[in-house]
Amino acid sequence: MSKYVDVIINGFKEKVPEKASISFLITHFKEGDTDLIVEHNGQFVYPQKYAGAAVSEGDRIEFINPNFGG
Amino acid sequence: MTNLSSEEYVRYNRQIILPEVGEEGQKKIRNARVFIAGVGGLGSVSAYYMAAAGVGYISIADRDRVNADNLNRQILHHSQDIGKPKTASALEKLRQLNPHCHIRAVQEDMREENIMELVGDSQLILDATDNAETRRLLNRASVSKHIPFVYGGINGLNGMVTTFIPGETACFECLFPHKAVEKTSVAVLGPVAGLTASVQSMEALKLILGMGGLLKNRLLYIQCSDMTFREINIRKNPDCNVCNTERRGMI
Ligand SMILES: [Zn+2]
Repeated sequence: MSKYVDVIINGFKEKVPEKASISFLITHFKEGDTDLIVEHNGQFVYPQKYAGAAVSEGDRIEFINPNFGG
Repeated sequence: MTNLSSEEYVRYNRQIILPEVGEEGQKKIRNARVFIAGVGGLGSVSAYYMAAAGVGYISIADRDRVNADNLNRQILHHSQDIGKPKTASALEKLRQLNPHCHIRAVQEDMREENIMELVGDSQLILDATDNAETRRLLNRASVSKHIPFVYGGINGLNGMVTTFIPGETACFECLFPHKAVEKTSVAVLGPVAGLTASVQSMEALKLILGMGGLLKNRLLYIQCSDMTFREINIRKNPDCNVCNTERRGMI
């Protein structure tokens, strides 16, 4: 049985599978934009690293939609 | 550099008396060359401030004509300008504001074929476009010409600003390597554009004056819903296809 951990996503506590990747969370929480700003414990995550970045208990994740209007 | 005229002393007095500006700084501003990419919501404000500060050479480019639904935020354009090319409308207002600035207005779409020429010999790029694709072109021009690119973007009640400096900071494509899916007509309130473009204008003047304290590798995220300003720390992406010279060499 897979274990779950508590993480904070955009300020809300969420239960997610242990070692879930950022890619998984993006799909799971339907953050649809191809361009997205992701912060993992205050650190910017490059899009190329989404698949490899795993979350653990207590991590803080922020998904921010970039602003491209002018 | 020629001394400031008595007219210039009067006109720019309130900034000349700032220790960070002074006479020397005002001369730097007078000799400065800035490219403003777009004269919509952001460009209206940054173009006004560049002209008001006395930036000697201002280049503007835009492909659009003034629409009635631009007027809630694009304060360079007035009701009687509806239907006019935006650059013509902008040129008229900027000349009225400050006849001493040399302004080059090009009513053209910014494309891969003309971007280098449009940016020309400008010393910095002020981003005021409304889409990610044009920002990618501006970013490439910034990296290849080795000039700063002050990114600004707005959406709804939010705005973002950062200053990309080639060789020193991340670039636009370090952050956004994918082709963006463009949204049509973003919602926006005028002051969000004003706030964002004012921060960009401040960055531009600091660059011209050679001041420190820039938004280097700091993405300022402005949320007007609760009036919070926060910073996202960014870094150069080692896998970036645009600013990583080693990788660029391989392509
Ligand atoms: Zn880059």
